[in-house]
Amino acid sequence: MPTLKRRPLPAAGEADDVPRRLFADPGVPDRVFRAVARGGGGLVLAVMLLVGGFLLLRAWEALRRAGWSFLTTAAWDPDSGHFGIAAVLLGTVLIALVAVCVAVPLATGAALYISEYASPRLRQTLISVVDLMAAVPSVVYGLWGFFWLEGHVLPTARFIATYFGWIPLFKVDGADPHDPLAPETVYTSSTFIAGLVVGMMVAPIICSIMREVFSQAPAGEREGAYALGATKWGMIRSVVLPFGKGGMIGGTMLGLGRALGETIAVYMVISPVFAVQPHILQSGTSSVSSLIALRYGEAGEFSMSALMAAGFALFLMTLVVNFAASSIVARSRSGATSDA
Amino acid sequence: MRPATAFRLGATVAALLCALLAVHPPDAHAVSYTKITGSGSTWSSNALDQWRRNISANLGMTVNFTANGSSQGREQFKNGVVDFAVSEIPYGLTEQGVTDAPPTRGYAYMPIVAGGTAFMYNLKIGGKAVTNLRLSGDSIAKMFTGRITMWNAPEIKADNPGLTLPARRIVPVVRSDGSGTTAQFTTWMAKEQPATWNAYCAQVGRGSNCGMTSYYPVLTGSSMIAKSGSLGVSGFVRQPQAEGSITYVEYSYAIKTGFPVAKMLNSSGYYVEPTASSVAVALTGAQIDQDKSSSNYLTQILDNVYENSDRRTYPMSSYSYMILPTSIGGDKNPMTEAKGLSLGTFGRYFLCDGQQQAEELGYSPLPKNLVQAGFDQLEKVPGAPTSSININDCRNPTFSGGVNTLIKNAPYPKSCDKKGTTQCSDGTAGAKTPTQVNQSANGGSTSGGSGSGGGSGSGGSSGTTGGSGSAGGTDANGDGKPGTGTSAGGTGGASVDPDTGQVLGDGASSGTTNVAANPMNVGYGSQLGMRGALMALSAVLLLGVVVGPPLVARTMAARARRRGGAA
Repeated sequence: MPTLKRRPLPAAGEADDVPRRLFADPGVPDRVFRAVARGGGGLVLAVMLLVGGFLLLRAWEALRRAGWSFLTTAAWDPDSGHFGIAAVLLGTVLIALVAVCVAVPLATGAALYISEYASPRLRQTLISVVDLMAAVPSVVYGLWGFFWLEGHVLPTARFIATYFGWIPLFKVDGADPHDPLAPETVYTSSTFIAGLVVGMMVAPIICSIMREVFSQAPAGEREGAYALGATKWGMIRSVVLPFGKGGMIGGTMLGLGRALGETIAVYMVISPVFAVQPHILQSGTSSVSSLIALRYGEAGEFSMSALMAAGFALFLMTLVVNFAASSIVARSRSGATSDA
Repeated sequence: MRPATAFRLGATVAALLCALLAVHPPDAHAVSYTKITGSGSTWSSNALDQWRRNISANLGMTVNFTANGSSQGREQFKNGVVDFAVSEIPYGLTEQGVTDAPPTRGYAYMPIVAGGTAFMYNLKIGGKAVTNLRLSGDSIAKMFTGRITMWNAPEIKADNPGLTLPARRIVPVVRSDGSGTTAQFTTWMAKEQPATWNAYCAQVGRGSNCGMTSYYPVLTGSSMIAKSGSLGVSGFVRQPQAEGSITYVEYSYAIKTGFPVAKMLNSSGYYVEPTASSVAVALTGAQIDQDKSSSNYLTQILDNVYENSDRRTYPMSSYSYMILPTSIGGDKNPMTEAKGLSLGTFGRYFLCDGQQQAEELGYSPLPKNLVQAGFDQLEKVPGAPTSSININDCRNPTFSGGVNTLIKNAPYPKSCDKKGTTQCSDGTAGAKTPTQVNQSANGGSTSGGSGSGGGSGSGGSSGTTGGSGSAGGTDANGDGKPGTGTSAGGTGGASVDPDTGQVLGDGASSGTTNVAANPMNVGYGSQLGMRGALMALSAVLLLGVVVGPPLVARTMAARARRRGGAA
């Protein structure tokens, strides 16, 4: 409890009647706590700046040599000076977008069911199951994606490519639905499959944030909606979803940030190519983090610098995504209390 | 009550103690070994994994090994992250104009095992897996550089006179990570197929003379797939949807996954499988660096292996090396005397007794001179055991009584394996089922093929009422798999049973025409038709019969009780 201390009143006339300056003495424990908390917050910021600074420092040599072509070149051949992140960055973004497209509807449905429909006992079970899903190591998801999912999702990929191939995004070069001997492998190791695997990994994160936000929708408004004759779904649509909008966007962005940086699962599923490849169902894609995982064993000093430059680009991108997420969340009604 | 509980507790504790004492604790080892860590090659990791399991069971020594590719192994050894590395290629080689600098700490190479880089494939003819594919070096190079894109290309046909190859696209599967297997393969390409390889290099933008590389360049827009690790490429090829794919991987992976490998043409015109003996024969041609003062002591030059004129030779044979630390202290060096003791003991084990298992794992044991040299290299490791060892006591299958028995007893290839118009039907590697070969190509050495055509005619035409007129390529029974196998249809309807579709007459008359057909998927979802729905329905009904009655009874009882309670 801060105590107000009285300062000696200036012995002057009533002419200079300025308001007294209030001074709150926080006390020693409070002061210590505040210092520790400030220090912790500052340290996090400092570590992040140091990581960025370190990446920039190590990447400088490669960035200086490549110049702006670093952003436009698709090939990755640092030793011959011909390298850039156009292809890997596009691959990263596409994989993350597929992941978010899969994960958001799944997570929204799961979160709504858990917070609104499930019985209390089932709710506890579901919450722990979703948390468990988030705790599964990514290499397990990678193995699952490579050895199981790929074979089972092929017919779906083939279906989309056959009937929606006229949309450039779903086009698959080299696939001929009329040739029964055409190799199925053109549909494997694709952005789509990598995105599905990553989507499974980010869904629990998005789900738990959404659930948290949905459960905070004010009871008074819920009851008001019911009193006006709303059904359960009507109540959810008019109260819970508008209230949780900020949290939904924030959770999605956070999931996107995680999806952008996913390494091992993507590394196991994809077949890396270093060319701009916008067809998401076609075999061959790449991502920044899997590029780093693949190539950091290479000896060259310069290629290490090039990898650091790619890492720096990824760092900046996730930073922007996360900042955007936190600002959206903070502006929303529910975000004032949520921790996203 | 109290004393009883106390007594029971006491009894339990006593029983537990007795049990603990009765279970004899494992004998304390005379020497306790420090844990050692290594990383590198996935090519030889199957052998290494077996050895470290054995040494952990026998001596309680923990050897950690991460199979993350030779390039990473060498890099991690250089950075002092691991105690030893395993790599197919040494330090100091130049790839793409960049030389892989050797580590600053002391190191030495020690051969650990030999083996063949095999070409594992997934190919079917008439719905049956092909297990006897043969490939010349020329065909292999063209397949992996996009010069040949179809399995029925004339080059592959010329290698396989006994097979009617399908018009299916070839899917070459290569390694995406830095790999010693890739390095071995591209070294061979650069030496033996320079024109094809250099043209490919120029095509992918790596210059006209790229030589050896650990990172296989992938041609954008081709059907090539890149996967990380030997497990990644072999795991990809084994999947059913990867039909038509081929990859380069150590022979042991093909054995483990149950898939065949291609027999490769050697310089004396025979197609040979990379078995332990053919690898051992081939490696008699390896030039081993014998300069003990050189840092590359014991490393291999394989030019004469590729060209070895012994007809039992598998051309793509090589040794795998362990990179041993030979110094303590200094920058980036985790080595200690205790680790040296562990590493030395481990090395002594696998150079000697471990080699026995090489053959069954899919590798080839080291010859005597390299085992001897390996022991000498091990002594350079600080802290390693220096007691003399009689290497004649090793139960290594290659040396008994001063003769390399593995080479002496190596079988010569069959006459049907000679390049020409015949082809053996025997399976290879993990798939030993023979593949039927065409009549004309059936050499004298195999007996099963001739005259058996009549029996195999039943696959295509069963299910048709007449049976007599069904040719190989039509979908006779509507299951989406028409005409699998050879069909006897069309060779005279009178000899076909109208009910079963079986050929009644003597098989020889109708079996002479061997019509090959390819299975194909017609339409989607053919596996989930009426049949699937009925199966699901019957499963649900069965479940209902089992679970239903007790559930209904229980609900009714509960309701009755509630009503009774309310009344």
